[in-house]
Amino acid sequence: MTLRRSLGVCGLLLLLLVGVLLIASLVGSQRLPLSASLCALVNGSNCGLSSEQQAILFDIRLPRILLAGAVGMCLATAGAAYQALLRNPLAEPYLLGVSNGAAVGTMTALVFFGAHEWSRPLMAFAGALAATLIVYRLARGRAGATPERLILAGVIVTTFLSSAIVFITTLMDATRIRSFTFWLLGDLSGTTASLLAVAFVAAGIGVGILVMNARSLNLMMLGERDAFDLGVEVGRVRLIVFAAASLLVGASVASSGSVGYVGLVVPHLVRLSTSSDNRVVIPASALAGASFVIVADTLARTIIAPRELPVGAITALIGAPLFIYLLKRGTSAV
Amino acid sequence: MLEARDITINYGRREAVGDVSLRVKPGEVIAIIGPNGAGKSTLLRGLNGTLAPTRGEILLEGKPLRSYARRGVARRIAVVAQEADLRFPVTVLEFVLGGRYAWSSAGTWGWESDRDVEVTQGVLSETELDGFESRLMNELSGGERQRAVLGRALATEAKLLLLDEPTANLDLAHQATMLRLVRGRCDDRETAAVVITHDLNLAAEFANHVLLMKDGRAIALGSPREVLTPERLIDVFGLRVLVDAHPITGAPRITPVHGQPG
Repeated sequence: MTLRRSLGVCGLLLLLLVGVLLIASLVGSQRLPLSASLCALVNGSNCGLSSEQQAILFDIRLPRILLAGAVGMCLATAGAAYQALLRNPLAEPYLLGVSNGAAVGTMTALVFFGAHEWSRPLMAFAGALAATLIVYRLARGRAGATPERLILAGVIVTTFLSSAIVFITTLMDATRIRSFTFWLLGDLSGTTASLLAVAFVAAGIGVGILVMNARSLNLMMLGERDAFDLGVEVGRVRLIVFAAASLLVGASVASSGSVGYVGLVVPHLVRLSTSSDNRVVIPASALAGASFVIVADTLARTIIAPRELPVGAITALIGAPLFIYLLKRGTSAV
Repeated sequence: MLEARDITINYGRREAVGDVSLRVKPGEVIAIIGPNGAGKSTLLRGLNGTLAPTRGEILLEGKPLRSYARRGVARRIAVVAQEADLRFPVTVLEFVLGGRYAWSSAGTWGWESDRDVEVTQGVLSETELDGFESRLMNELSGGERQRAVLGRALATEAKLLLLDEPTANLDLAHQATMLRLVRGRCDDRETAAVVITHDLNLAAEFANHVLLMKDGRAIALGSPREVLTPERLIDVFGLRVLVDAHPITGAPRITPVHGQPG
């Protein structure tokens, strides 16, 4: 993999993302006229759309699509990072319990500091980081972390945190419980401008940090001791990458709940079609992850329109079979 | 180039290596031999800074090993482990290019330079892996894969090679190829190698010096002829051996004697 090929791959995925973004903003329970909407999106003027159509396009659909894109970027790159760092192609924020850690953080913030919207992403980040470190410690046995042990550790942390979530839910008033159940499965409908901003800033910082460490991750995914011998500051890189991945998961969970399997499906497909070089896997996963979640959310809000599915249900429908396939095939290849 | 002075390495309370001194000069191959659990690997891990000695001092090019950054050590000392653990598919070229990490001008990130690719190509032909660039590591045979592992160590351009049983899983021909490559490197009078091996005959043939270890202690250090005497080997391995001269190379030849004769 060279810089030129990597840029080529990312260029293609960027084109795909732009296409997906345009199509997604046109489809929905209210179909918008193609040419007028395109004109409005490009020029920012009304282009003959009615004020109702404009409101749907700019106030409802576009923020939601942008959030879906940011969430996809965060989760896909976090997944790629966990896989490289834990040397396990099955590692994924949702399956490791990291998403649940972030969810506990978010809900704690909602219950105790409900008035401060900023507390949610912060607590989500703290929850994600705590869950990451706990899973990492649990998975590292005397013989080192085997793939199976890691998944088991993830299951244990996930179920423990699920109980914590149930406990916190009982502290809430009954009217909010249903919206929380929806949120826990991944829900992009509750976007606010500040949550959108947080998601984008976190995605930018997190992906940036991961790209900067991609070459070190290339060596670490082939063994920490070998990486150390070849000059990688293993302990430092591990801490930085865990923090960046937790930031990504925290931001995405705080704004949209736990959307599962994105971090499994997207890096896997990227690796399959390009290479295992993280210098391409991470930026390409960012772009492909954005497209993936936008498509999944578009399906979620159109399949049974005007009613909606949680986006996490769609991603799990695609991701769970892939997980089983990877598990059966053995974790040694991709 | 590397000097260990009376180093002791502990695992918790247990002393794994005690008061071992070793001096590596350019052009030399030093073999470390001894029974399992003698502390050979621990010593090797101490020599490149993976394990910090509890007592004693290691000097790399005259300066304390501790004073070097990881990348600085990696440019000077390369390690060849027994087996690469591959969970993701990487090509031979990508794998060997990994050895160039410590030389990246962009710090710890960025892409390989033309020089990195040039060095890597040279190493691939040296390890007889030309044409294997785009093959996947996990599709190679054991011997080919081990040559790629050696290639990655050579790609670091480090002048000191530390090899931990590099031939453990290889057949006779591949064992000889590996050691011939290492010996060839050291004959340039700039490179040196420290090799852990269980094959006493290979040690006798390829090494300038042999360090015999038991229970974390250095029992003997010297030329193969001085160290590999029947009395010492019986003492250390608890096995009767016959030592004579190899008819072609003249190096000591060690043959275990099983059972009591007549």
